[in-house]
Amino acid sequence: MATLHKTIHTKVPAGATPPAPARASRKRRVGLGEKSIPYLLLAPAVIVMLVLLGWPALQVIGISFRKLDLGELVRGEVVWVGLDNYTAVLADPEFWTITMRTVLFTAAVVAGTVLAGLMVALLMRHLSGAVRVAVQVTLVLAWATPILATTTVFQWIFDQQYGILNKTLVKLGFDSFAGFSWFSSGASTMTVIGLLIVWQAVPFVCFTIYAGLLAAPKELYEAASMDGASSWQSFTTVSWPAIRPLVTLATFLSVIWDFKVFAQVWAIRQGGPDGESTTMPVLLYLRGIAGRHFGVASAVAVLMILVLLVLTARYLQLLLRSREADVS
Amino acid sequence: MVGIATIALATAGCAGSGDDSTDQASNGEPRTLTVWLMNGSAPKTLTDSLNKEFEGANEGVTVKYEVQEWNGIQDKLTTALASQDPPDVIELGNTQAPSFAAEGVLTDLTGDVDSLSGDQWLASLKASGEWDGKQYSTPFYAANRSVIYRTDMFQEAGITAAPTSRQEWLDAITKLKAKFGSDPQFQALYLPGQNWYTLLSFIYDEGGDIAKKDGTDFKATVNTDQAKAGLEFYKQLLDASGTTAPKDNDEQNPEQAGIYGQGKVAMMIALPWELGTAAKDNPDIQTKSSAFPIPSKTAGKTAPVFQGGSNLAIPVNSKNSDLAKDYLKLLLSEKYQGQLAEAGMVPGASTDLSALDANPVSKAMAAASKNGKAVPATPKWATIEAGQNPLKDMLTAYLTGTKDLDTATGDANTALDAAFS
Amino acid sequence: MNKTRGQRIALNTTGVVVAVLFAFPTYWMLTSAFKPSSDLLTPDYDLIPLSFTLDNFASAWAKPGFLTHLSNSLIVTVGAVLCSLVAGVLAAFPLARLRFRGRKGFLLLVLIAQMAPMEALFIPMFLLMQDAGLLNKLPSLLLVYFAITLPFTVWTLRGFVQGIPFELEEAAMVDGCSRFGAFRRVVLPLLGPGLVATSVFAFITAWNEFLYALVFMRDKDKQTLPVWLSTFKTVFGTDWGGIMAASVMYALPALVFFLLVQRKLVSGATAGALKG
Repeated sequence: MATLHKTIHTKVPAGATPPAPARASRKRRVGLGEKSIPYLLLAPAVIVMLVLLGWPALQVIGISFRKLDLGELVRGEVVWVGLDNYTAVLADPEFWTITMRTVLFTAAVVAGTVLAGLMVALLMRHLSGAVRVAVQVTLVLAWATPILATTTVFQWIFDQQYGILNKTLVKLGFDSFAGFSWFSSGASTMTVIGLLIVWQAVPFVCFTIYAGLLAAPKELYEAASMDGASSWQSFTTVSWPAIRPLVTLATFLSVIWDFKVFAQVWAIRQGGPDGESTTMPVLLYLRGIAGRHFGVASAVAVLMILVLLVLTARYLQLLLRSREADVS
Repeated sequence: MVGIATIALATAGCAGSGDDSTDQASNGEPRTLTVWLMNGSAPKTLTDSLNKEFEGANEGVTVKYEVQEWNGIQDKLTTALASQDPPDVIELGNTQAPSFAAEGVLTDLTGDVDSLSGDQWLASLKASGEWDGKQYSTPFYAANRSVIYRTDMFQEAGITAAPTSRQEWLDAITKLKAKFGSDPQFQALYLPGQNWYTLLSFIYDEGGDIAKKDGTDFKATVNTDQAKAGLEFYKQLLDASGTTAPKDNDEQNPEQAGIYGQGKVAMMIALPWELGTAAKDNPDIQTKSSAFPIPSKTAGKTAPVFQGGSNLAIPVNSKNSDLAKDYLKLLLSEKYQGQLAEAGMVPGASTDLSALDANPVSKAMAAASKNGKAVPATPKWATIEAGQNPLKDMLTAYLTGTKDLDTATGDANTALDAAFS
Repeated sequence: MNKTRGQRIALNTTGVVVAVLFAFPTYWMLTSAFKPSSDLLTPDYDLIPLSFTLDNFASAWAKPGFLTHLSNSLIVTVGAVLCSLVAGVLAAFPLARLRFRGRKGFLLLVLIAQMAPMEALFIPMFLLMQDAGLLNKLPSLLLVYFAITLPFTVWTLRGFVQGIPFELEEAAMVDGCSRFGAFRRVVLPLLGPGLVATSVFAFITAWNEFLYALVFMRDKDKQTLPVWLSTFKTVFGTDWGGIMAASVMYALPALVFFLLVQRKLVSGATAGALKG
C-alpha cells in the first residue's frame, strides 16, 4: 500500500510548547456550525423521503386496518375493521405456499443476477475498447427496453408453436421439442419468468460492480503483479475489497426489487397455470387491486414488508451494529 | 403524535365529498360536460355528430370528449371517481358495471329509465346495470361471437350450406380435413384452449349456466351435468378440429385473427371486428369470408351466446348529472343507436337490428344476439375477470388431461364459489 | 495489465459471446420491428428475418402524440434524475464519512423506504397529490419519480463512496484542503462511474414507469411515453409490429443518455485514481 504521509516541519522555539499539528487544531475548532452540516446535507433527501415515501407508507399501514373499497374511497369514509384484512389474507390456505414460492424465487433470481453481473463486470475490465462498448450497449438496451416489449418477446421466443427456441431445438435434432409447452407447469413458467428478470436485472448489478472496479487504484494491481500475484490473488486482494460493499449492496437491493416484481410475472401467465406462478405481489393484485379492495391490498403490502425485513434481517443487523468504518 | 396521526389518517381519503345536489346554474353560464368513452366503442363519426348536436341544443355547454384506453382503465376510473372533478359520463364494461354499482359510486337512474329508451333495452345489458333493485347504468352496445369461415374453402370441400347443428358442424370439419388435411399447417377450426366465451355458449346450449342466483348471492353451477356436457363438447370439437392452437392460452395470445389472416384456417369463433384485423395483413380474406351463428345441439336453433358489451353511467359525484342525463338520452336515441348498428355493433337501446344485416358477419352476430346472456351480475365478477379466471384453468386442465372431468369442474366450482363469497 | 495475445483473444471472444447472448431478445425485438405483422408468428425458421418492412416504424411514428409524450417523458425523467443525483450525492457524503446522531435511523429509513410495493402506495400517493393540488400537472410525476429513485441513489452512492479509500481524502486534507474540499476534489471525480450507474438506473426507472403516469395525468397532452405505448393495444387487437417499433424508438433515448454520460465521466475516474 503506497504511503501517503507527508512530514510536517514546524519550527519550535526553545521552551515553548510545540504547536499542535495542523489537523488537530482543526478538530478543536469544530463548533455548532460544523456539527449541523451532516443534517443540512441530508435535509433534501430526508424531506423528500419523509414526505413522499414515508407518509404514504405510514398511510398504507393505517389503511391496512380499514375497509377501503371504491365506495369508501369516493365518499371519503373511514371504516376501521381491525385485523379483518389480515385474517382474510392469512386464512387463505395458499398464502404460505405463495410466500414460500416468492422467497425461493427471489433467492434464485438474486443469486443468478449477482453471479452473472459479477462475472460480466470482471470480464468487461479485460475487454478491448470496441468489444467492451458492444457489451455495454447490449446491457443498456436490455435494461432500457419497456417491460411490455420484453415480456412479449420472451413469450414469442418460448412460444409453443412458433417460438424460435423450439424451432431451433428441433432443427438441432431434439424432435421432442416440437410444440413443447414451456408454460405447462409452475416450475417451468417461473424459470422463464426468472430468466426474463435476470436478463433485465444483470445490467444494473454489472455496471455497479464495474464502476467499483474502475475506482480501484491501478497502482494496486501493478504492485500485486510485480509481487508475482496470480490473477485469482489479485482479485481477492485488490478487486474484491473494492467491490465487496457494492456486491453486498447490489444483492440487498436485488432482494428487495426481485421480491416486489409484479409486471413481468403477471404479463407472462397471470400467475398461472392454475395459480402455480403466483407470488406475493400477484396476490396483492388479485386480493387487493383487482377487486378494488385497497384495505386488503395494504394488508398484503405490510405482510410483504415484514417478510422482506426477515429476509434482509442479517444485513440490517450488520448495518445497525457496525461502526462507521466497518459497514460494507 | 399518535393522536395527530390518527386524525390525519382519518381525514386522508376525504375526496370528492358529495355536494352535487346543486348543479351549476343553468341557462347561459358556461358549463363543461366531461364524457369518457372507450377506444373502439362508438365510431368517431358518431361521436362527432353527437357532440355537435348536443352542444347545439344546449347553449353555453361544451362537451369535453375523451377517448380512454382499456389498458389500466380500472385504476384510472378509481382515481377519477375519487377525485374532486370526476367525469360526467363514463363507459363501463358490462362485466364491470355491477361492481361499480354495488359500491354506490354511480347515480341512480331508476327514475329515468323510460326517458332513456328503456323499452328498447337489451335484456342482458339491462341486467348488468342493475343492483339491489335499482338501475345504475344503461346499456350502450353489445357484441357476441359467431363462427367466421372461409366460403371458398367450404365450397371446395363440398359443403353446400353453413352448419345449423352440432352434428353438421362436425361433419363440415371432417369434409374440410379430407380436402385440405394434407397441408400440415391447415386447421379446420382454430380453437385455443381457453376460449371460455365459447364454452359458455356450449353450457348455455345444454340448458346450464356457470352460476345461479341465490338471494343476492350467486352459487356456482359448473359441476352440474349440463356444464359438464358443454365442457365435453368443447373437447370433442377441439380434438376433431385439427387445431394447433395452445391449450393453455386464449384467443388473443397469440392473436387468432392474425392466424386466420395467414389463410390456412377454415373457421374461427370470433367477434366481427376480428375479420377486419385479419384483413389488415390479407385484404382478400374479407371477401372470402362469411359467418354463421354458433350451432345448437338441436337442429334449427342457434346456441345462446355470451353477450359482451358496455354500459353507460353517471358518477355519483358528477357536478353535471342533469346535463349528463340529457347526453345519455341523445346517445340512446334511435338515431345514434342506428348508427351503432351501421358500425357493426348490436345497439344496447334499440331493437332494430336491420342495419346489421348488410354484412354477412354482423348478420350472423345479430341473429345470435337475440339469444344472448351475460355473466352473473355480481360485483365479484369484475375481480374474477381482472384476476385469475377459474374457467380458463378448468379448460386447460381438462383439455390437457391433467384433471378428469369431475375434478376439473369440481375445482372450478369451488374456486368460483370462493370468488363469489 | 499485460496479457498474452492468446489471452486477449480468448477474453474478447468470451465478451462477444456474452454480448450475443444478452442481445438476443433485443435482436428479436429489432427484427420483429422490421417484420410485417403477418410474419411475426410463423412456422418457418426465421432466425434471420425472412422479410423486411418499414411500415411498423412509419405507423408508430405517425401514431398521434409521440412527440408530446416524448417531451413530457424527458422533462419528468431528466428532472427527477438530476434532483435524485444532487440530493443523493449530498446525502451520501455524511452517511459514508461522518458520524452523527440519527445516522442509523436515517439509514434504516432509506432501506425500508424501498420495501413498500408501488402498487399498494398508489392510493395514498394519489390522495397526497390531490391534496397538494398537483394532479394533472407534470411536477407531481417528477416528485414521485424523484422519491422513487432517491433511496436507491443514496444507498448506492454511499456504497461507492465507501469503496473509495479514505486515505485519498486524508492526503488531500494534509495538503491543505478542508473536509468538503477534499471530498469535492478527490472523491467526486472518482464517483464518476457510480454517478453513471445510478443516473442511468434512475433514468430507466422513471422512463418506464406506467401506473402513476396513468393515474396522475388526466389530460392526453400531459401523458408520458409508457401510456402512449399502451395505446397500441386496443380492443381491436394489438399492433405487435407497431409495439416493437415503438419500443425501439422508446429505448433509444435511454441508450443515448448512457452513451453521453459514460463517456464524460468514466474518463475522469481513471485519471483521478492515478493522482492518488
